[in-house]
Amino acid sequence: MATRTERHETVSTVFGATLTRRQFVRGGGALLVCLGGLNRLGPVGSMLGSTVEAAAGDSNSLNPGLASSWFEIHADNTILMRTGKVDFGQTTAHTAYRQIVAEELRVSYESITSVVMGDTDRTPDGGFSAGFLEYGGQNLRKAAAYTYQALLDLAAATLGVEKSALTVQNGIVSGGGKRASYGDLVKNQQLKLTIPVSGELTNMFGLTVTGDPPLRPTKEYTVIGKSFPNAVTPSKVSAKEVWVTDVRLPGMLHGRVVHPKTLGSTLVSVGTLNKTRFPNAQVIVKGNLVGVVSPSEWEAVGAAQQMAADTKWTDWKGLPGHEKLYTWLREQADWKTTPPSKSDKSRGDVKPALASASKTLTASYEVPFMKHAPIGPTIAVGDARADGIVYVHTHNQNPQALRGQLAMMLGTSVDNVVIRIYAGPGHYGRSNGGNAGAEDEAVLLSKSVGKPVRVQWSRADDLQWSTQSPPGVADISVGWDANGTITAYQADHYMPAMQDDRLVGALIAGLPTQPAPAPNVEGPIGSTINGVSDPWIYERVPNVAETGFGTFQLGQQASPLAVGLRDHSMRTPGQLQQNFPRELAMSEAAARAGFDAIEFRLKQTDDARLIGVLEAVREASGWQTRVSPSPKASATGTASVSGQGVSAMLRSGTYWACVCQVSVVPSTGKITVDKYTIAVDPGIVVNPLQLKRTIEGGALMGLSHALYEEMAFDESGVISRDWRSYPILTMADVPEVKVVILSHPEVGAYGGGSEAANALAISAVAAAFFDATGKIARRLPLKPSHVQGILKA
Amino acid sequence: MAGVAFVVNGTRREVQASGDTPLLYVLRNDLELSGPQFGCGLSQCGACSVLVDGKEARACVLPVNRVAGKDVTTLEGLPGLWAKQRGGPADGESSLHPVQQAWIDEQVPQCGFCQNGMMIKAAELLADTPSPSIAQIKQAFMAGPSPHLCRCGSYSAIVEAVQRASTIMARRK
Ligand code: FES
Ligand code: FES
Repeated sequence: MATRTERHETVSTVFGATLTRRQFVRGGGALLVCLGGLNRLGPVGSMLGSTVEAAAGDSNSLNPGLASSWFEIHADNTILMRTGKVDFGQTTAHTAYRQIVAEELRVSYESITSVVMGDTDRTPDGGFSAGFLEYGGQNLRKAAAYTYQALLDLAAATLGVEKSALTVQNGIVSGGGKRASYGDLVKNQQLKLTIPVSGELTNMFGLTVTGDPPLRPTKEYTVIGKSFPNAVTPSKVSAKEVWVTDVRLPGMLHGRVVHPKTLGSTLVSVGTLNKTRFPNAQVIVKGNLVGVVSPSEWEAVGAAQQMAADTKWTDWKGLPGHEKLYTWLREQADWKTTPPSKSDKSRGDVKPALASASKTLTASYEVPFMKHAPIGPTIAVGDARADGIVYVHTHNQNPQALRGQLAMMLGTSVDNVVIRIYAGPGHYGRSNGGNAGAEDEAVLLSKSVGKPVRVQWSRADDLQWSTQSPPGVADISVGWDANGTITAYQADHYMPAMQDDRLVGALIAGLPTQPAPAPNVEGPIGSTINGVSDPWIYERVPNVAETGFGTFQLGQQASPLAVGLRDHSMRTPGQLQQNFPRELAMSEAAARAGFDAIEFRLKQTDDARLIGVLEAVREASGWQTRVSPSPKASATGTASVSGQGVSAMLRSGTYWACVCQVSVVPSTGKITVDKYTIAVDPGIVVNPLQLKRTIEGGALMGLSHALYEEMAFDESGVISRDWRSYPILTMADVPEVKVVILSHPEVGAYGGGSEAANALAISAVAAAFFDATGKIARRLPLKPSHVQGILKA
Repeated sequence: MAGVAFVVNGTRREVQASGDTPLLYVLRNDLELSGPQFGCGLSQCGACSVLVDGKEARACVLPVNRVAGKDVTTLEGLPGLWAKQRGGPADGESSLHPVQQAWIDEQVPQCGFCQNGMMIKAAELLADTPSPSIAQIKQAFMAGPSPHLCRCGSYSAIVEAVQRASTIMARRK
């Protein structure tokens, strides 16, 4: 069993070149000749940003201004690339990123032989692992484009041929009858290429490569657009991957945390550990944080259970409970303190336009709290060493931000914190701000005992003490004229703060964290401000007013622990809460206006890409063009009735439309999705196969949201504690899934693919339920107990 | 603490552990096997699945003393199990069980954390039912202590991969 330990590095200078020999855990060592820098690149070198100097001083950071921090081009023509992004299963870092870099460098996909991902001392850029192609992909694309130019300059000098006369294919530069491989060019060279970056390494967004190096024209692409398999799949299916669950350090103890009784409870008295039953266990108390450690995992589990039973806490009731959630949001929540935000598509004068419309629809929509619910609970190995350096081995979407948060908690410099990243269960956004839950607790326990401690949460901990996707309430009004042309659209979206990145262990222990979401917290997402995240796509509508209203997280201010219901962005964050109401309202309005739901949408836009996905999904799904509800619709009886629903979205530069065809048994309220068809236009398609699989996964997660998911909570805390009380989609619910990918390279950009599909499913299923039954369900999830009342009404 | 002896992936192993220790902890911590994962510890997801005498079992709730003397196969042991099933050690085509090969061919995993149990279940199904229908495949993943859960939504890929594995098995038999 491979235990991932420190990798040794020796640096020596041979013939003026810096040679780095590294020993990796698996496989033999490698002798690397790095592309270190190219002094003669004046214009590029002089663009060095000031933050780079600061980062360069960090003892545990790479210098993001150096090309060698992003790529190593070896004499044998293999290339290593590094990214601060962490792949969570959508394979982007392992496939799409490789393809992007290979394309800009003009090398084959196969020549990029290794990808270093996430480790804070081995990757340059930081930032969250989301919007992979929009953000992280651009960094690599530009860094590679700079490097390509540097290599051309080097080749021109080495070969004595004008740069403009050189061409490159598969890493071989040729021109003037001469040729050299990249490996030849970097061999025995001391090269220094400095690339410009801006930003702050350990904040949410990390560093951005700036400037405008010439990018490869998309029509010359040879690697992008091909379906390369994911390079890590073989190790995952053959049990050779080193998962985060496999990290075992010498002397490591197993830790468990006994979380407080409620989301606002403080300690009254710590129980006494039964030393007869748990002779090797040890209790650690820090503020209100109670932990146990033991060399045996099973003993740690047992000791934690005994301590949980014997430890006394104060009571706390500060939450409305899920049954009163929407009333509470409407009547009690403070929507005044946080300034509202208007969408940039808001225009015209909605009020008079609604008043003079030939018909209108006014309705309210409700989205519950949902859990990210990774299939494995959060886990981390903390290793607080005697020399003051803290290592954390974990699985996290924003390791550099975690590094900053841990440094703040410990009152130390970020130089003293190193995060190492391993494969683990998908987080769907929960850790994109730096933490999933166990990381800080592992560090605190390790610091107390002076040994590495592995903390793994229980299933209940992971549902009850993690962050969740916030609920949303929306009031929508749509008005249209006699021809079914929308003249006015108004949306008021209400949602509590969505990005609480405070470390929960630090909060419980009473240690420093970043501020809780509040109106005055700086930055685009750490405040209580609710931005409009669902871009308006029906461009022909003259009067649009979209407003987002934000508020504090439920119970967080009142909780003596300052915990309460902490929220966090989840796959298609904020947009899910806003797209469901908009798209269901569009389908309802179509029906009232007497139009087919796809026809109605097409009438409101001239956008060729939106029209493209709507027409594609209409054709691929076998859509029946007609007005809803279906002529056979019924809200009663035991016979199954069928319906169809459509939805559309623009997200991260990608256009989406989906159709769901469902069957409903009115007497039971049971909805079965028979077919899910989705059309996607991301502009440039980087990897069709991986895109398809990612979309299928998102689509099924969306059906799970639509049919099952609602976090249950009472006045004291979350009561969803396992897969029975937080059910998700199962194999029995899986419909036929059809993915249509539309490639539009002329767009010139690669839009995202791993979000949107989940959010789109929801309104399409709700519209299909309406088509099948003639009844409208505007509150999620569409589970039998919810929709039965609607069917009887 | 007593010694518990059982066969793991074809080799007899003896571990020192209290008899109530869940098999999962013994496999992961004592025997350093990394296939089975901790997902829920409640027999509700299937991430920890192994085969005990050829039948899928949830290692997270199975006390180790209950497997004394039995034959346990983990994800690591699937290639060996396949070799045994086809009656000879050598399978020139691949060192993987056809299920594992199909999982690669179909690019099934998203995060992959649930896939241990999915592959174990698929191997169990195909050993009994070499050419399952889609309905039988879905039924298999719903049967047992709980449905096998995948939060990443790889279910359609799983169905396609089981069908492919069935084809590979027929070819390589
Ligand atoms: S971990 Fe064993 S069934 Fe979930
Ligand atoms: S692949 Fe991620 S949970 Fe199944």
